[in-house]
Amino acid sequence: MVNPIYIFITSLGAAFLLNLFQKINRKIADLIFFLTLAVINYISLFWFYQLLQGYEAAKIYTAGFLPPYSINLYLGIEEAVFLVLINLLGFFSAVYLYKKFREISIKAMILYLVLIMGLNGLVMTRDLFNLFVFLEITSITTYALISLEDNKYSLTAGFKFIIAGGLVSTLFLIGTIYLYRLGGSLNLDFLVNSGVLNTKAGILATFLLVFALLIELKPFPANGWALDVYQSVHPGIAAIIASASSAAIFFVIYKFIPLMPSSFLPLLAGIGGVTFVFSNLMGLKQTDARRLLGYSSIAQMGLLLAALALIMQFDNLQSLSSIIVIIGGLFINHFLAKAGLFWLAGIVQKRNIRSWKIIANNPPLLLVFGGFILALIGLPPFPGFWAKWELVMQLSANNMMVWVWIILAGSLLEAVYLFRWFGYAVKNTEVEEIRTEAAQYLPVLIFLLGLLYLGMEGTHLVSGADSIYVLPVLLGVILYVLNWLPNKLKGSLCLLAVIYFSYRLLPALQDIYQLFGVVFLIGSAVLLITTFARKDIFKGFYPLLIIMILSLGNLLQAKTSLQFFLSWEFITITSYLLILRGKFSLKAALIYITFSLAGAYLILAGMGLAFRDTGVVSLAGLASIVNSGYIYVLLGLGFLIKIGIVGFHVWLPGAYTEAEDDFTPFLSAVLSKMGIFGLIMLAILLGEPVLKGIQLNYILGWLGVLTAFFGALLAAFQEDIKKLLAYSSLGQLGYIVLALAIHSHLGWVTSIYLTFTHLLFKGILFVAVAGLLSRVKTRKMYEMGGLINNMPLTFISVLIAIIALSGVPPLSGFGGKWLLYSSLLEKGWYLQAGLAFFASTIAFLYCYRILHSVFLGQPKTALRDVKEPSVWYIVPQYLFLFGIMAISMYPNLILKPVMSAVSTYFASSIYWEDYTVISSLGYWNGNAVMMVTMGVFMIPLLWLLFRIKAVTKVKQFNIVYAAERPDRPETTHYAHNFFAHYQKALGFLARPKVTEFWGNIAEVIHSVGALFRQLYTGNGQTYAIHILIFLLISYFILGVK
Amino acid sequence: MNSVTLILIGNAILSLFLITIWGLTLNGMVMKIVARVHGRFGPPVWQPFLDIIKNNAKRTMIAHGTMFFLGPVFRIASGIGTYLFIPAIFGSTVFSNFSFSGDVFLVMYFIFFGQLGMALGAGESGHPYSPIGVSRGLAQMTAFEVPFSLAVISLAVQYNTLSITEIVAAQQGSILNWTIFTNPLAAIAALIALLGMNMHNPFSIVIAPQEIPIGPPTEYHSAYLGMLQTNRAIFNIAKLVLYMNLFFGGATNFITLILKTFLIYIFTSVAVGVAFPRFRTEQSIRFFLKYPALIGLLAIIIVSIK
Repeated sequence: MVNPIYIFITSLGAAFLLNLFQKINRKIADLIFFLTLAVINYISLFWFYQLLQGYEAAKIYTAGFLPPYSINLYLGIEEAVFLVLINLLGFFSAVYLYKKFREISIKAMILYLVLIMGLNGLVMTRDLFNLFVFLEITSITTYALISLEDNKYSLTAGFKFIIAGGLVSTLFLIGTIYLYRLGGSLNLDFLVNSGVLNTKAGILATFLLVFALLIELKPFPANGWALDVYQSVHPGIAAIIASASSAAIFFVIYKFIPLMPSSFLPLLAGIGGVTFVFSNLMGLKQTDARRLLGYSSIAQMGLLLAALALIMQFDNLQSLSSIIVIIGGLFINHFLAKAGLFWLAGIVQKRNIRSWKIIANNPPLLLVFGGFILALIGLPPFPGFWAKWELVMQLSANNMMVWVWIILAGSLLEAVYLFRWFGYAVKNTEVEEIRTEAAQYLPVLIFLLGLLYLGMEGTHLVSGADSIYVLPVLLGVILYVLNWLPNKLKGSLCLLAVIYFSYRLLPALQDIYQLFGVVFLIGSAVLLITTFARKDIFKGFYPLLIIMILSLGNLLQAKTSLQFFLSWEFITITSYLLILRGKFSLKAALIYITFSLAGAYLILAGMGLAFRDTGVVSLAGLASIVNSGYIYVLLGLGFLIKIGIVGFHVWLPGAYTEAEDDFTPFLSAVLSKMGIFGLIMLAILLGEPVLKGIQLNYILGWLGVLTAFFGALLAAFQEDIKKLLAYSSLGQLGYIVLALAIHSHLGWVTSIYLTFTHLLFKGILFVAVAGLLSRVKTRKMYEMGGLINNMPLTFISVLIAIIALSGVPPLSGFGGKWLLYSSLLEKGWYLQAGLAFFASTIAFLYCYRILHSVFLGQPKTALRDVKEPSVWYIVPQYLFLFGIMAISMYPNLILKPVMSAVSTYFASSIYWEDYTVISSLGYWNGNAVMMVTMGVFMIPLLWLLFRIKAVTKVKQFNIVYAAERPDRPETTHYAHNFFAHYQKALGFLARPKVTEFWGNIAEVIHSVGALFRQLYTGNGQTYAIHILIFLLISYFILGVK
Repeated sequence: MNSVTLILIGNAILSLFLITIWGLTLNGMVMKIVARVHGRFGPPVWQPFLDIIKNNAKRTMIAHGTMFFLGPVFRIASGIGTYLFIPAIFGSTVFSNFSFSGDVFLVMYFIFFGQLGMALGAGESGHPYSPIGVSRGLAQMTAFEVPFSLAVISLAVQYNTLSITEIVAAQQGSILNWTIFTNPLAAIAALIALLGMNMHNPFSIVIAPQEIPIGPPTEYHSAYLGMLQTNRAIFNIAKLVLYMNLFFGGATNFITLILKTFLIYIFTSVAVGVAFPRFRTEQSIRFFLKYPALIGLLAIIIVSIK
């Protein structure tokens, strides 16, 4: 057994000797430096291992006396964890800093060793004065290390640091003196039992102590000094301050908790919560990468503090493992990710977050950067995800819903600025290369791997989790590694994986779940063929895609709400990253992820409520909740945001339009259905909930039909073909939601039928557009025209898809319309039926517009030689086309399975007579309609064909044109502002009110963030005043009488 | 093909033939009446027949492309189909057509089939007036479909069925059972919508003589035009038959059908048409979405309260 005291002895000894050895040979000194760090790492790891094996904790008494007459150290499992982390970080940061250390005198290494030793001491000591000494040691060494960066900013930052440090020391000393006076001891364990804490003076003294430590955690708003430090210090040192020092101080506060009266806990939680939210708020406007990390760092420590203080207040602690998951998860997540990001900031060497685009030239670095960003936001597969989940569950179970909202709001703000930063990094327009050295790169990589490993370990600790996500991620990794393969081969592997996965999964699913499985997986498989057309090397596309598609499958087989949420988050992240691949998608992707995460957080909060009411995380448990209105609203809203329901649709057009052309079909045809699936699942579990006397389904129905209406109207006014289709998708989803809300057999049959037909025709349309845009380099429809002769195959499939979309008989779309109106009338929703009808007639406007502006009319000179797109665009279209024709001819092919699936939940109100489906109001024989239509079409066609010999084909401009011969297609092709009159009549409904609304909200939040940032004047005296005012306010809030 | 199907097809052809004759005659009569109102002598009643024969007999045709060629086919197929999905005469086997295929929603949507197809053909002609006319037509259609669909929904609520045959059946017995008397608001809303559908003044914005010569069919001639003219008769009568069925008690024999469709046509579209100038497109859209739509809403509210 190595006595932990050797940590101090070796590091102090080495620190003294370094100077000596340096005189002999710098290399030897360096070796000793690293050896020392290795030794203390060994000691802490050794103890950690021993303690895990169940050995007794180490109690060290100095000078041979027992406390309270001596200083005592304690090394239990908790201490060991912190020591291991601090020392590991110490070692790797030293490796990272080595080049810097070489450049300056040996003193830096000495200071560094002493700093690490001080942090070790903070963790282990049980003596107040000793604590003070270690606090001073770390302060002074940190101050000196801050000045490593030789510029005026670091000097002033260091000075501000010392001012704050001085205040902290003063407060800490006063508190210590009082406690000693009252309790007669400086030993923590003695003080806890001494009863001194029940006196007013004792409470005041404790308050001063705790407050001093709090300041070291840099709470808002008394943290201006810290931000300046983060901004100006060398990133290697910043990593130590942000992770190791914060960790040590956090642990000291943890040690102090038994000393605190219970009235301190709400204050601590409050300070933590405020710090978390406000730091993230101010981070929004930050453009300096290091200061941004500073804000994030402070916010994370605030969250950790709040979580700790809240957990201590729980009436019934669930289990030790959930505390480990929450505190441990949040802590480790922050510890590793923040250190890694600061290191990265040093490697990238760019201050402004916009300049981080150079990182895209270095894919491994970009990958690491993305990983840390995801981890910090608390997304899977990192430990922070499990921690946030468990925290929300436990807070809900203890009825602390306000805290759930505070934490989720702060997390969302943090996600926005971190993702914005990441977005800048991905968009590579620079040629500048980053110089990476193994010494700098290795620590970063090791920390990311550590995060991943711990994230995987989290699976075993959280109840309701399992390794459901491992398969998709594994396949993603494999595809990433196989990046050197030709694209078609990678695509085929991806396709094979999806097919095999479907083959395994689909038979295992039940009724409606199975139908959605077909939509998600088979739909994706067909769309995957489109990607074969790619010629360029595109790293990361297939890995992300396979994770997304398989996670969609996982969503269907989720048994617990955690599994569901996990898959949901995986889909959200991967789809965001895929959207981000678009050339100009920076803004659109950010809006997408912001809304998606907001939706996901609503779902999380809803699941928290469900956990509170049921005590279990199984999805089936939801069914037992009596008063489920709120849960329905939260989860439902989360799903609706994903669908892009009117009011929350602002992310949709941008994301659809700016995503890569061959990814948009996935978004529209497949991904949009996950929200629908969520809603159906919710309805299966919760039925038709009522909230405060309001039938929620009634509201849902209106939301659906309004979405249908506005989607169609907005689509009619678009010039951009992808935007048009995006709005059209929105409208179509509106019908699906409307039908779903009816909550009857017919309604659900309609909804699922529409889901299928939407997959088919939107799949065709977006794939066709992808093909079109691969040939025509513009998205503006009026710049095209007459392409029917250039790409007849595409035209035919688009035509069929448009007929299906518009609902014109005899194709499958009419079935959807008929079912929709029948179910609406059956339900008694007449006005909704009227509005839905109006919306579906408006759909004709944009339907015609696409066909005419792109394929008909006058061909443009520049596009005269455009050819049919590659066969890989054509194949998926015709596969879907075959589907449309089959279910148009024989609607029972799809209706019968759908009806039987839905009849698990409702008694059927429609029945079949041969090919005729009969509802309580009307009837429809799709087969007969098809036959009649073909008949009445053939007769006049035959007559015209009989006359075909008389027909002469004429040239482009051979038209009856008021005695003038047009010479330019641009002036003859009527396509721009096609529905000008409609705009005059109804344009007032299409004004971007909702976009303005959300824009204003974003503006206000950013402005408030900017406002609070003005607190930080950069003046050290002001910062000192902040600390004092903060002290007084906290004291008054505490209200010690 | 079994004998039942053959009989069905035979009946449909007969029904279609008779109705085409009546449709063309009706158009001829209306041309004559309008001319007399204008103080002109007007063409003979059989002029539509002559036009069709003449146009189909033209020696040459030109084509701007496949969709252009198919446009009139779509149009007339839709006209015939619309008619064939409506049971024209209550209780008659010959005139029940293919109404077993679907209910009133099928008919309403099948109307769009031809409009879309024709619009595509017109679009390929490359003539700017064609898409201008189409754009106007589609825009106006979305507007007048609102009062019409509201009226149909009101009827569905009133009769608790979407089947046209059953709606007609419910109106038998007395003239007071006709929808126009039992649900006057719905009938009014729908009749105003009919003005738009028939595209007479003030809603003649699609064809719009003097503005965009004849709109969508600008480039169509000879056999194409003949086909479009035939369709105009069939489609017109199909709509009138639909209205007769929904609001005026249907018909139990061919004479009643002739009489009722004639009267509906004259007293709505023609009478209004000769008396008003043309709207601008946006005016027309706003018009339908204001009072007619409100009347339609009222019709629904009233029947659903009952």
